[in-house]
Amino acid sequence: MTEHPKVLTKNFGDPAALGYEGYVANGGYLGLKKALTMQPQEIIDLVKAGNLRGRGGAGFPAAVKWGFLGKTDGPKYLCVNADEGEPGTVKDGPLMENDPHQLIEGVVIACYALGIKSAYIYIRGEFYKAIRIVQAAVDQAYAQGVIGKSVMGSAFQLDIAVHPGAGAYICGEETGLLSSLEGKKGMPKLKPPFPALKGLYGAPTIVNNVETLACVPHILTLGADAWNALGTEKNGGSKLYCVSGHVMKPGYYETRHSITLRELIYDVAGGLKPGRTLKAVVPGGSSSPILTADEIDVRMDFDSLGKAGSMLGSAAVIVMDDSTSMVRALDNLMHFYSHESCGQCTPCREGTAWLHKIMSRIVDGRGEAADIDRMLDITGNMVGNTICVLADAAAFPVQSYIKKFRPEFEEYIQGHKRLSLLGHREEPATVGAH
Amino acid sequence: MSVVTPELRAKFDQVVSRYPADQRQSAVIPLLHLFQESHGGSLTTEHQQAVADYLGVPMSKVHEVTTFYTMYSLKPRGKQHISICGTLPCALCGCKDIVEAVQEKLGVAPEQVTADGQFSFQVVECLAQCHQGPVMQVGDTVYGNLTPESAKAVIDALGKKQ
Repeated sequence: MTEHPKVLTKNFGDPAALGYEGYVANGGYLGLKKALTMQPQEIIDLVKAGNLRGRGGAGFPAAVKWGFLGKTDGPKYLCVNADEGEPGTVKDGPLMENDPHQLIEGVVIACYALGIKSAYIYIRGEFYKAIRIVQAAVDQAYAQGVIGKSVMGSAFQLDIAVHPGAGAYICGEETGLLSSLEGKKGMPKLKPPFPALKGLYGAPTIVNNVETLACVPHILTLGADAWNALGTEKNGGSKLYCVSGHVMKPGYYETRHSITLRELIYDVAGGLKPGRTLKAVVPGGSSSPILTADEIDVRMDFDSLGKAGSMLGSAAVIVMDDSTSMVRALDNLMHFYSHESCGQCTPCREGTAWLHKIMSRIVDGRGEAADIDRMLDITGNMVGNTICVLADAAAFPVQSYIKKFRPEFEEYIQGHKRLSLLGHREEPATVGAH
Repeated sequence: MSVVTPELRAKFDQVVSRYPADQRQSAVIPLLHLFQESHGGSLTTEHQQAVADYLGVPMSKVHEVTTFYTMYSLKPRGKQHISICGTLPCALCGCKDIVEAVQEKLGVAPEQVTADGQFSFQVVECLAQCHQGPVMQVGDTVYGNLTPESAKAVIDALGKKQ
């Protein structure tokens, strides 16, 4: 059985650690102290050796992304992506609410390594508590000389500001986030140029996820070898996972990348409710292709899930037991993606809207047998044809749900098994919750 | 009288100082939040114009923002606005029953305000509280692991607090 390290969550549940003194008493800011004795390139090399992968979902090596930052004498920016919102994902909120200084320390180290003097923490607007806590910690960090004109007495200068979002899934996409931070609609921008060369206000910009930056202090204090020992090959460190849906103990958990999906569901999250069997699992947020009950002996790292035909994504495990109607589950997601498409690219705006309309009519009992292939056809015109990956994110569940549960869709359309999301035989729903 | 009170203006000045002097538009979102919070949870044309004037950006740019993001409301809301998550993880945990319970308790449809002006509700997309679904959020407070009964009890308690 996997033993669960407490690195990223070691201060969770200790209210004192919300404050500067408490954080320092628990060993905080030692990573920054060490960083300030190193050359910036040494820090980047260390993070590279620590195999830190971007934990917003893409799993791209963080140090490689840092290496793309454009050289300039003008301003450069670090933007922290705290726009958590991929359905199933709960990790960045807890990281900010329980240990804001851990994030700030990661931000300061990253900025020092990259020669950045200005950082913004973009927190989704609904996260009132996280915004309040992180702002208080930023104020404290200024007062303690951790940031400001002289970072810990050094010649390095850094300003950090907290910026709230206002409700838009698309702002979790890094160029959408930058548009939003510029005070505009959160519409993604065509890449290239990538933000590392032309980002916030047209300046070189690194956008990193909260959890990614929260890892950085620990790579400094533990060293690359000890940090890597917590993970798997090319997947450094311990990791936060959220398990939601039909399990006995839903929650967010820190554990090792080497844990399997089966262990995460049954050992960590308490398994299924009595009398229920597993039907399907979303392993990495609603956009990741779904896995069936016999596909869960897979390691929860970026590469293993990729080989299994899915993604670790934001490490958001959504568990569905045998009561679940896959048709209604997909209908719910299509409502989500059509609502959240920013409307900029035709394949996404039209594609998500049509997928939602078709799913709605199937759910209402007005579906046609041809609708199944019609939806697959639509997804074929979406994937890879848009500025950002929201279209792909909407298409992957359609493709995988139909591939793995096609008979259920056929039976639903034929009217033999018209069920609610939770498996109750019912007539079409009329009330709000989709 | 200007909708920008001296108190609000001081807050505006502080917010704008976080961005480069030539990037005042960045403050659109936080300034709209300040207005909405100080005016009962919704925005008027006057508020949007005041933000545009204060930042020196066209009104259309501000209106684009208020209509793009879901947290802004151009229609009046109740003093307590309830957001119920309707996305998959909460749906798997029975959020449909929560929506029905809240609707029954308040006696109004989504986005409508109760006769006494106290409450309104809407079904929203993922609130990133999936570990404690089904959830609803009222102001800055998240209520998790709801049952229809506990959701109604939350509304009772909020009603008494008025």
